Amino acid sequence: MRGRLNAGLVAGGVLVGLVVLAALVSFVWTPHDPTLVDAARKLREPGGGYLLGADKFGRDTLSQLMVGARTTLYVGIVAVGIAALLGTPLGVLAGMTRQGWLAELVMRVNDLVFAFPALLLAVMLGAVYGAGTLTAMIAIGVATVPAFARVARAATLQVMVTDYVLAARAAGRRGGAIALRHVLPNIGSVLIVQASVSFAIAILAEAALSFLGFGTRPPTPSWGRMLQESQELLFSTPRLALWPGLAIALAVLGFNLLGDGLRDFLDPKLRRIGAEG
Amino acid sequence: MLKVDGLSVRAGSVELVREVSFAVGPGERVGLIGESGSGKSLTALSLMGLLPEGVTAAGRATLGDRDLVGVPEGRLKRLRGRELSMVFQEPMTALNPLMRVGTQVAEAMTLHGRGRREARARAVELLERVRLPEPRQLARAFPHQLSGGQRQRVMLAIALANEPGLLICDEPTTALDVTVQKQMLGLIAEVAPALLFITHDLAVVASVCERVLVMYGGRIVESGAVREVFTRPRHRYTEGLLAASRLTPRGTRLPTIRGGVPAAGHFPDGCVFRNRCPHADDRCESAPELTGDGHAHACWHPAD
Amino acid sequence: MTLYLVKRLAVLVASTAVAGVVVFAFMALLPGDPAEIALGVNATPEAVARLREQFGTDRPPLAQFLDWFGGLARGDFGTSYVTSAPIGPQISDRLGVTAVLVLGGMVVALLVAVPLGTFAAVHHRDPLGAAVSAVSQAGIAVPAFLAGILLVFVFAVRAQVLPSGGYVPLADDPGEWLRSLLLPWLSLGLVQGAVLTRYVRSAVLDVMREDYLRTARAKGRGSTGALWRHGLRNAAVPVVTVLGLQLATLLVGAVVVERVFVIPGLGDLLLNGVAGRDLLLVQGVVMVLVTAVLLINFLVDVAYHLLDPRLRGPR
Repeated sequence: MRGRLNAGLVAGGVLVGLVVLAALVSFVWTPHDPTLVDAARKLREPGGGYLLGADKFGRDTLSQLMVGARTTLYVGIVAVGIAALLGTPLGVLAGMTRQGWLAELVMRVNDLVFAFPALLLAVMLGAVYGAGTLTAMIAIGVATVPAFARVARAATLQVMVTDYVLAARAAGRRGGAIALRHVLPNIGSVLIVQASVSFAIAILAEAALSFLGFGTRPPTPSWGRMLQESQELLFSTPRLALWPGLAIALAVLGFNLLGDGLRDFLDPKLRRIGAEG
Repeated sequence: MLKVDGLSVRAGSVELVREVSFAVGPGERVGLIGESGSGKSLTALSLMGLLPEGVTAAGRATLGDRDLVGVPEGRLKRLRGRELSMVFQEPMTALNPLMRVGTQVAEAMTLHGRGRREARARAVELLERVRLPEPRQLARAFPHQLSGGQRQRVMLAIALANEPGLLICDEPTTALDVTVQKQMLGLIAEVAPALLFITHDLAVVASVCERVLVMYGGRIVESGAVREVFTRPRHRYTEGLLAASRLTPRGTRLPTIRGGVPAAGHFPDGCVFRNRCPHADDRCESAPELTGDGHAHACWHPAD
Repeated sequence: MTLYLVKRLAVLVASTAVAGVVVFAFMALLPGDPAEIALGVNATPEAVARLREQFGTDRPPLAQFLDWFGGLARGDFGTSYVTSAPIGPQISDRLGVTAVLVLGGMVVALLVAVPLGTFAAVHHRDPLGAAVSAVSQAGIAVPAFLAGILLVFVFAVRAQVLPSGGYVPLADDPGEWLRSLLLPWLSLGLVQGAVLTRYVRSAVLDVMREDYLRTARAKGRGSTGALWRHGLRNAAVPVVTVLGLQLATLLVGAVVVERVFVIPGLGDLLLNGVAGRDLLLVQGVVMVLVTAVLLINFLVDVAYHLLDPRLRGPR
């Protein structure tokens, strides 16, 4: 590991840590039950046991935020996981193969998947199987595969021309062995950075989907849906939009900063590869 | 023509070039010899006002009656490309890949007042002068379509476009093949006005220049006529340099200067060379001045 | 160069066809029979069979696909199973609205990103440049709909100068049309502008380190002149490639923004279609969106090749 601790890494780490903390704590304790509808507490102002107030159904905002953090992280982890597990082998294959047509085919398929933005996939998937957290995760995951494949391929190409790989090939090592021993460890840092950036994008996508009604179904709290519910009351109770909005922005900012910070930490020269989502 | 007096270049707290003084007369060919890290490129860049970010120059340098150091960019840019110009080391990256070659040559002239049509015509003439084949067609080519040697000739054409009084060349042939080098050197020797030729290659200096300055550790340690300096070096560094470049008979070891070139800012006080010089003693703890007319050296224990 | 164009065009057509298959297959998975759904629970089997024949859903899937795709190529999107309204006109009506939304957003993004990005690059060593970088970093974290809500809050709720939603067609009232689009454009453009700023900064920084800038200065250009004349054109190349990606993201952002501001565009149509289980409509809209993205990528590829003479092939 080279590089030094930098501001981005620290700031990003702190923000992400906050989100993770909120989610973890929510498993054990929340100020109130976020799904509990309580007409008496309708639109209650911050104060008393309701630190950030309550929404139009009387549900505690803070509790909703905390449990919403769970959803956010859950979706991010699964989506990025799918993308990494599917995209990395594809990218490495495309980078390592001597068959030009294979690489070309993989990249073309990649571009095709890329043409289906996460939102669109989620809408389509939702229409068939019913919208919800699961379909959102799968859709976002599949839509993120091209990003990982591209980054993996670019990094693999760079590794393939290094002297130690050439030596390995001259010594007769087979492709699989080279992939495991040389390629994967070296493209690891690029993939970690991409994972962080994709996580941020996944959060944005989930928020957008929930906002549109295609994400997490009620009553499970979700930051995106909280925003959508706040819209009609924007004129009277703007604070309902403030908190989920802030949560989303800070979480995304955190992952982006973390990604940048990791990039600088692991190898400043990596700045070129994979800046897109 | 060019008079440099006490030029110093520093990057932050590190002094990279110390009190360098020399002169280049009109039509004179002067070589500036040194290894990597001797400060020769920085000296040239500071004359052009093209030092990289964070690097500054102090001291005096004049071209004719005009100051070159400590002058605002606005004034300097009027001199650059017109009164003095420079050819750099790397021909592969020195040209804008998106612009046609002829346009880039013409730009040197339009920047200093010439009309576009005239500049374009003259660009073709210049390409011919640097012995590029089919100059009219070549002018419409893009840099990536040319070889390294061809690109370097284009750079030369750009440098000569406004008939400058002084041409500075910073290792112009180092990145080229040996055969191409020879042609290029011949060309430069033929077309250059006053020339400051920077290189680490002694043979090149011998073939192109009349006078030579030897630089080490950011200082000029010896200067004089090429023939004089190369046959009877006074400074111990020059002596070592020449010995190391002579072809030795079989069976004998290649003479080297012991030790290595220190990193910037880590040169010894006093004589910059004393930590590698077999003749160094206590006297060398104070820096020797450049002494002698014609053939000058800065050494307490010069060779005889 | 032309060979490349032809090859690339072939890829575009092939991709569109494959996309069509994917979309069709997807929608074919939708549970329930359109005819049954249209007629309701009490329909007689004969009525259902007749309607199926009318819809064409009684034929084998391949025939249905070819029919549909062939129709698309001719511009015929078919007739909705649910509303019995022709789909083509619905799409073309709203396509214009979404296109204006997306293009306006792109313009705003460029207007923000080019000056800011260049500024950040030129000042990358001093606090001003760092500040711009930080702001753009924060800007990325804000999704378009959040920006929309924020803008509505500031301009419509507090300042009350702009409408909080709704759309007025250009033909009806140009002034109101503009006013209704201003906040949506800003929502899309500011966020994309933040993303683009980082790319512009990075591209300009790369160019600033290039040798040919030094050559330009050696000819007699000042440092700003060299950057303008030589640098920016070269920096444009990587930025243009990103623009293509951004257009795709803008398209998606537009879908969401249309919800926020209640604008009758393609996104709105799509979402309504899904909610109403209007199979053919959803197919049509998705195809349009996907084709748009593929087309944009194609154009960007071509533009990239045109801009950089190194890619044009031998003389």
